[in-house]
Amino acid sequence: MHDTSNALSALPKATKKKKSSTVIEVDDIGFSYDYGKTETLKGISMEVPKNQVTALIGPSGCGKSTLLRCLNRMNDLIDTAKITRGTIRILGQDIHAADVDAIELRKQVGMVFQKYNPFPKSIYDNVAYGLRIQGVKKKSVLDEAVERSLKSAALWDEAKDRLKDSALGLSGGQQQRLCIARTIAVRPKVILMDEPCSALDPIATAKVEGLMLELKKDFTIVIVTHSMQQASRISDQTAFFYLGELIEYASTSKIFTSPSVQQTEDYISGRFG
Amino acid sequence: MQPSEHILTTFDQALHELRETTLTMAVGAQRNLQNTINGLLQRDKQLCNQAIADDEDEDQLEILIDNLGMQIIVRFQPVATDLRMVIGAMKTSTNLERISDQAVSIAKRSRKILKNEEIPEVGRIEGLYQVAAALLADAITAYADSNTELALSVIEQQKELKKTHKKTSRFFSRKLETETAHYRDYLDLVLICRWLDRVGGLATNIAEDIVFEITSTDIRHGGELPRELTEDGSNSNGTPQI
Repeated sequence: MHDTSNALSALPKATKKKKSSTVIEVDDIGFSYDYGKTETLKGISMEVPKNQVTALIGPSGCGKSTLLRCLNRMNDLIDTAKITRGTIRILGQDIHAADVDAIELRKQVGMVFQKYNPFPKSIYDNVAYGLRIQGVKKKSVLDEAVERSLKSAALWDEAKDRLKDSALGLSGGQQQRLCIARTIAVRPKVILMDEPCSALDPIATAKVEGLMLELKKDFTIVIVTHSMQQASRISDQTAFFYLGELIEYASTSKIFTSPSVQQTEDYISGRFG
Repeated sequence: MQPSEHILTTFDQALHELRETTLTMAVGAQRNLQNTINGLLQRDKQLCNQAIADDEDEDQLEILIDNLGMQIIVRFQPVATDLRMVIGAMKTSTNLERISDQAVSIAKRSRKILKNEEIPEVGRIEGLYQVAAALLADAITAYADSNTELALSVIEQQKELKKTHKKTSRFFSRKLETETAHYRDYLDLVLICRWLDRVGGLATNIAEDIVFEITSTDIRHGGELPRELTEDGSNSNGTPQI
């Protein structure tokens, strides 16, 4: 196990070299799922700005979710997977540096998944889970964190009178917002979202989208979505991927009104085969 | 470059219908203007009446185009070129409806003129009409062919229209002062000059929207021309050098 004492706790100090508005720097990253035989990501370079929502779009298999999972080293869990080239820096720190522990990294770079996945525990215990893992035991601290996180996730009013009830009794949309509350309880710098609304109805989707727009004031959000409308509604920056390459990365307004690359235009306007 | 077809063929069909309807409306506006001027020059009241009656078709087409555009926005959520095309068609239809309204105004004044004894100078309107009609025809062709260069030339041609309008209007204004027996007719002719100038202005609006539709560059109100269309690539404002 790596010594994490000087790893992620030092992240803010490492930002000196880069302009403060950039949180994530992806530099020529290559990634393979089969020991490097074939590259799923082929030299991706992009910078993710602070306190903005950045959407990753593209057809299935283009590498957008793979890149997302690279950002908190979720792909480390796959034996055959490896970064073949390049670096990823979060707040100036190379996340693959020897002294960076993946678990510590994931406290700073939280993730919300496509299928909401609350633990089979109470609402309170779900939100407090991350803090307890970190060793927080004081009830007043946990109470404060649970209330703050549920309020931030726009779930407090619906859940405050049933905090001890099972999280599995919540509706789908509420469960997803609970997962977001659980993610932000440990105060990450970045939230990664992998198609967070694909299993939700339009009302629940609107609530989660509204939540994202609120959360970006405090967090930097990177979202993978298949919905062009969702990307255009909530994101500030949009990156279009195709066959493992970053085809175009620009402001969402530019991508959806006058993209520079024909492939981008073909994809977003439904001309892509 | 011609965009490829959409995966959803009904999207292509809807866009095609919108474009065809807009072109139908454009031809109607052009015909109404032609009828009304022919009515004045040939002293044919029927042609003027025809232009006034046909304006109703233009009004209905404008409503239809707005409806088709909104249906496309709701059903297909167009973006980029598709979105600009839908918005462009809706804006073009508004300009065409106004052109047809100018034709109606001219037709109504022409009917008044036709009630009176013929004045020979009325033929001077034809020169101004030819310039305005050429602008409109080029704007419609530019729309049909998605031709940026032709659209930009319409904007350039407007200067010629302004010149011809000033000259013709000044001639009739002087007549208005001196030929008191026919002052009402000359006043009507001054107004007809103004409406023909307005037709050119509306055709220019259409041309500017075409440039936006194709290049995504807004050149209205002194906006810069698309960089690739300026001779030195400097992206400066001014006369297009093609």
